[in-house]
Amino acid sequence: MTDASFDVVVVGAGRAGVAAAYKLADEEFDVALVERAKQPGMKNVTGGVLYGSILDDLVPEFPEEAPLERHVVEHNIKLLHGDAEVSIGYRDLELREEPNYTLMLGKFDRWFVDRAVEQGVTFLPETGVKDVTQEADRAVVHTDRENGDIACDAVIGADGVNTTVGRKTGIQRTMRNEDMALSVKKVIDVGREEIDRRFNLDSDEGAAYIYTGFPEGAPTIGYFIYTFEEYISVGAVGGLETLRWLGSEGYGDTGTPLYSLLERFMELDTVRPYVRGDAVEEYQGILVPEHSYDSLPGRYDRRVALVGDAAGLVLNKGYTFRGLDYGIKSGLVAAEAAVECEADADWDSFGQRYDDRLEDSYVLQDMKQHRHLPRFLENERMYGAYPGIATETLRSMYSANTDASGLTWRQAYRAFRRSDAGFLDLLRDGYRGLRSL
Amino acid sequence: MSVQDDLETVNWDVSEDAHITVDNEQCVTCEDKPCLHLCPAECFDYQEDQEGGIYFAYEPCVECGACMVFCANDPDKGAVSWSKAEGGKGVEFDFG
Ligand SMILES: Cc1cc2nc3c(=O)[nH]c(=O)nc-3n(C[C@H](O)[C@H](O)[C@H](O)COP(=O)(O)OP(=O)(O)OC[C@H]3O[C@@H](n4cnc5c(N)ncnc54)[C@H](O)[C@@H]3O)c2cc1C
Ligand code: SF4
Ligand code: SF4
Repeated sequence: MTDASFDVVVVGAGRAGVAAAYKLADEEFDVALVERAKQPGMKNVTGGVLYGSILDDLVPEFPEEAPLERHVVEHNIKLLHGDAEVSIGYRDLELREEPNYTLMLGKFDRWFVDRAVEQGVTFLPETGVKDVTQEADRAVVHTDRENGDIACDAVIGADGVNTTVGRKTGIQRTMRNEDMALSVKKVIDVGREEIDRRFNLDSDEGAAYIYTGFPEGAPTIGYFIYTFEEYISVGAVGGLETLRWLGSEGYGDTGTPLYSLLERFMELDTVRPYVRGDAVEEYQGILVPEHSYDSLPGRYDRRVALVGDAAGLVLNKGYTFRGLDYGIKSGLVAAEAAVECEADADWDSFGQRYDDRLEDSYVLQDMKQHRHLPRFLENERMYGAYPGIATETLRSMYSANTDASGLTWRQAYRAFRRSDAGFLDLLRDGYRGLRSL
Repeated sequence: MSVQDDLETVNWDVSEDAHITVDNEQCVTCEDKPCLHLCPAECFDYQEDQEGGIYFAYEPCVECGACMVFCANDPDKGAVSWSKAEGGKGVEFDFG
């Protein structure tokens, strides 16, 4: 016996789940959206920048209606090396043509769920999903509410990185340190005008900053700063396996936790002017999936499809994160698969149809194209030797104190010879980098 | 600033039931004790008088899932039993 029934149950009201539910309601499906938090967004954390064109079709008016922070017109990559920093900045007013915005999920997710409810979605907050079972002609979602079993034709697992649906159904393999990165982040109250001044922005313009090279030579560790309307977010990300060995200073010692690295990063002379002084409004910690296309975990069974972070659909490109839009896209793809199953009265192929469609979508095409990138980004030289070479070369170009004899390329060559990197390493890494970016 | 100061900015609706528990017996043979520096909320504390040296508090957990991956899923460790806080309970972020 179950206590309620719907055509489709979506587990998790992140953007991936809401997009799926929204689209299904639009197609006249009877759809439930189950969320464990009291309010949408309360459990959710991102950086971050939404690459928003994915919402153009579903909610064309979102740039005017949604609670967005700033329109991103500038990206910065910064290589840290000791006291120095080498940066590449990219500012382009043509970026204004693209709907890419910084956002905070607390506000955004609440807005998106409200829109989905207007569309006809049944939203069930404060309801944790414990398990999902598949029977001959239906699936059942088991929740922690009294009499809380819900029967349906198919389940969309949109329950984020630590997916209950994926783990309980056995669709997702057991995650290990190599599969995951940890992130800690602070939201800091800076004030609108001070942000404009500090980051050289007009009042609705936003900027993104990505840093690597600290601590020197520690692979996979990076930092970010994003500008919101009145706040900034400052965070650190590192592969769990790197953080494990970097932090294991011995018995009873707390080693070097990621939050301490973030503190030290924020104290660097080159970083402090951006982040100093103001009140921390919130501290957060979360995992980020770190799979390459070839090591993606399973994402479907007969009547179950995993979407968004639950399926590991995140790509850390080194210079930007993609996950918010991948989640939305995969949710939409799952909804399309459901529409097809309903039309053919064949729900047993739901998972397979979802997967076939996802394989053709830009999400998996993107991840496939960048399949070598995650390994490339594990290369220690990217975090030590190469920022060092760049710094030394520029130092010899600009510093009046160094022996600045010779041509720039000779200085670069000398800096390279002094570094730990070999010539073949450079060629190999350059080739791999070009191939994977 | 310490992480304890930062944690002051976070809100919880703490459940009476622990969503994560630690079987201290497993900690005895765990040499490197990564929980002490990998948990972003310092839920794991080194205390000499505890079995295996670990004292665990679930209340300040920010529900990241790291201890599921580095401990519960590691056959050489496995002290952690991990689940999500029940519906409506646990950490509540304002910003995200
Ligand atoms: C530090 C950081 C920076 C990032 N920066 C960017 C960026 O700049 N750009 C970008 O595109 N991506 C970025 N990402 C990735 C992006 O945030 C994620 O890929 C995206 O949020 C995933 O969305 P989702 O809907 O799949 O999952 P989530 O947003 O995690 O939603 C999952 C939902 O399911 C609910 N839930 C979980 N379990 C249950 C259960 N058992 N029962 C009921 N409900 C449940 C949760 O409460 C939550 O509401 C970043 C990630 C991090 C951590
Ligand atoms: S990592 Fe797990 S097994 Fe090891 S000390 Fe910590 S809780 Fe115990
Ligand atoms: S889930 Fe994260 S915050 Fe909670 S105890 Fe485990 S490691 Fe710490």
